[in-house]
Amino acid sequence: MSEAALGVGLQRRASAREIGFFRAFFRFFSELRDAVVQALRSLLMHKLRASLTILGISIGIATVIAVSSAAIGLDEAFGRQLASLGPNTLYVSPRPWIVDGGNWWKYRNRPAVGQGDWRAIERFANLPLAVAPIAGTQGVVGKGGKEIKNVFIRGTTESFLETGSWQLKRGRFISNIDHEVGTDACVIGADIEDAIFPNQDPIGQQLRVGPIGRCTVVGSLVRRGNSFGQSQDMLIVLPLSAFLRTFGQKRGVTIAVVAPAGKVTETEDEVVAVVRNYRRLAPDKDDNFAVNRQDRMLNMFGDMTKQMKLVVFVIGFITAIVGGIGVMNILLVSVKERTREIGIRRALGARKLTILLQFLCEAVVVSCVGGFLGTAIGLGAAKLVSIVTPLAASVNPMIVVAGAAFSAAVGLIFGLWPAWSAASLNPIEALRYE
Amino acid sequence: MALIELSHIEKTYDLGLSKVLALRDVHVSVNKGEFLAIVGQSGSGKSTLMNIVGCLDVPTSGHYRLAGRDVGDLTDDELADVRNLEIGFVFQSFQLLPRASALENVELPLIYRGLSKKERREAAEHALEQVQLRDRMKHKPAELSGGQRQRVAIARALVTQPSLLLADEPTGNLDSKTGEEIVYLFHELHSKGNTIMLVTHEPKLAARCPRAVRLVDGLVVADGPGREVAYANAEALGAEALAAFQAAQKSVEGRP
Repeated sequence: MSEAALGVGLQRRASAREIGFFRAFFRFFSELRDAVVQALRSLLMHKLRASLTILGISIGIATVIAVSSAAIGLDEAFGRQLASLGPNTLYVSPRPWIVDGGNWWKYRNRPAVGQGDWRAIERFANLPLAVAPIAGTQGVVGKGGKEIKNVFIRGTTESFLETGSWQLKRGRFISNIDHEVGTDACVIGADIEDAIFPNQDPIGQQLRVGPIGRCTVVGSLVRRGNSFGQSQDMLIVLPLSAFLRTFGQKRGVTIAVVAPAGKVTETEDEVVAVVRNYRRLAPDKDDNFAVNRQDRMLNMFGDMTKQMKLVVFVIGFITAIVGGIGVMNILLVSVKERTREIGIRRALGARKLTILLQFLCEAVVVSCVGGFLGTAIGLGAAKLVSIVTPLAASVNPMIVVAGAAFSAAVGLIFGLWPAWSAASLNPIEALRYE
Repeated sequence: MALIELSHIEKTYDLGLSKVLALRDVHVSVNKGEFLAIVGQSGSGKSTLMNIVGCLDVPTSGHYRLAGRDVGDLTDDELADVRNLEIGFVFQSFQLLPRASALENVELPLIYRGLSKKERREAAEHALEQVQLRDRMKHKPAELSGGQRQRVAIARALVTQPSLLLADEPTGNLDSKTGEEIVYLFHELHSKGNTIMLVTHEPKLAARCPRAVRLVDGLVVADGPGREVAYANAEALGAEALAAFQAAQKSVEGRP
């Protein structure tokens, strides 16, 4: 036989220790390629068995992806909702937004926040960029035969635009003069405009508000969209004085205060001081009002979603174990079936690690195919959730990467033991195995 | 220098309750280019000897030098490399991968050398040509006859250009005619300079080898030209059989 034809003539006598780095490198790659080819071949040989295992893994991965997409979607939706309150906006109201159930009695008899508090903040607080009292209710808005129920009706002043970061689409917003003079001006949200004034200019038109009120449209707002499946544009804004006239003088308000960026805490302190002073609270008395901040709410929500994420993690963990057991099972069967092959390979020069690699490859291929399928199913389910329910499931590309990595890891971890048991078979006994 | 030097080789199998002495103080030395048969009955230790020579197993005591290197103190990985580089195995039951084609089977040992796909293919085709199977390269083992399968196995053993071709009962699973073809092939390979060690229980096969070693109960009892050893082996077997026959006859006659 010609040595040149083989290309290994000189190599032939090289001992294990003398095999060069590049040979070892090439050897690893040719072994890896062979392992992947063998793994695919083995899967194709046993389609039913492989597809059942793959199904197990993909259901698991799909569950994790769907649930975590929903969780992240909820997280984002809530974050967006809260962001619409404005990151630098403080809300003064009788009670904190987050009330610990056991402390409810403490807040029960607090006085309403009223126009006096608002005036005091406007006059004595220096830091706020804008201050708006907001009174609100839900009610009916109509014109002629058209009537819309469950509209958010707000009574406020000029600064409402800034505190809620709304934008004007047409006309003007209500002004402080409207409030002081008590005009019947009103500004409508996009949903009201579309419903009552399709394809016509609403400015100057009359509307019925609530049971007895009337108002004249002076402007309309740019559409803001849904939040938690609820439109934010079912809105009509009246001057505070007109609102109170229509819906009752004793209603309390919430005072929205816009703080300069980076000075939210200082502004909060100032507002607290001003309101305490106005209410003449003695230094030893607790506040009988609350200053709410959007970021506190966000923190609380963060705690809540943390628990949800923990649940997702636990589901994922259980899924991994169940899927992994499937992989381990198929691999143990494969090792048993191919015991002779292992013996042959060992006799022909395969090292232990080569055999290990071969079976690990099989495990990883199975679990990765399952992972890809599961990711696809999970994303589909997440999409379905966002279409059918108001929850906007968020599809994060990181989830896909994580899903692939996760399934590969499952394959590696659960494939390790069967692969190792294959690698440590005695070649002589493996060759004799029937 | 001898290619194979076995000195004081002993092998015991620990079966828990008892110890089995499979090989006792075996001295054999084989030169490059020799064609040697190991004969003996089943249980005589010839398979154990072959496993040790093939670096699939290590002796309990004694030294085994292959091409001048002591194999005794090699790690598991190094033994695997020695098997890959120095030894070509031919087994009684062929031991081909059932799902791989003849060509892929022959390529297999070259994967563990890190040869490129092209180099592997060339070498494997060349080896298959040597055993006259060039036109059956794409066939799976199940689509080949017994003789052809054994030829694929021989090609797989040859493809690495091993120092030693190790054959364990290579004709055991074949009918006498195809067995004859395989024996002829071995003789041909020997004439081309290959070193061959053939393990067999057939005295007929050993008789045709230039040299034979006879094992009885793990002991080398004869080492010499194949014809003589085989004859002695047959004679011993004959004597044993005769004794057994006589004993049986006696017990039958002894009955009232």
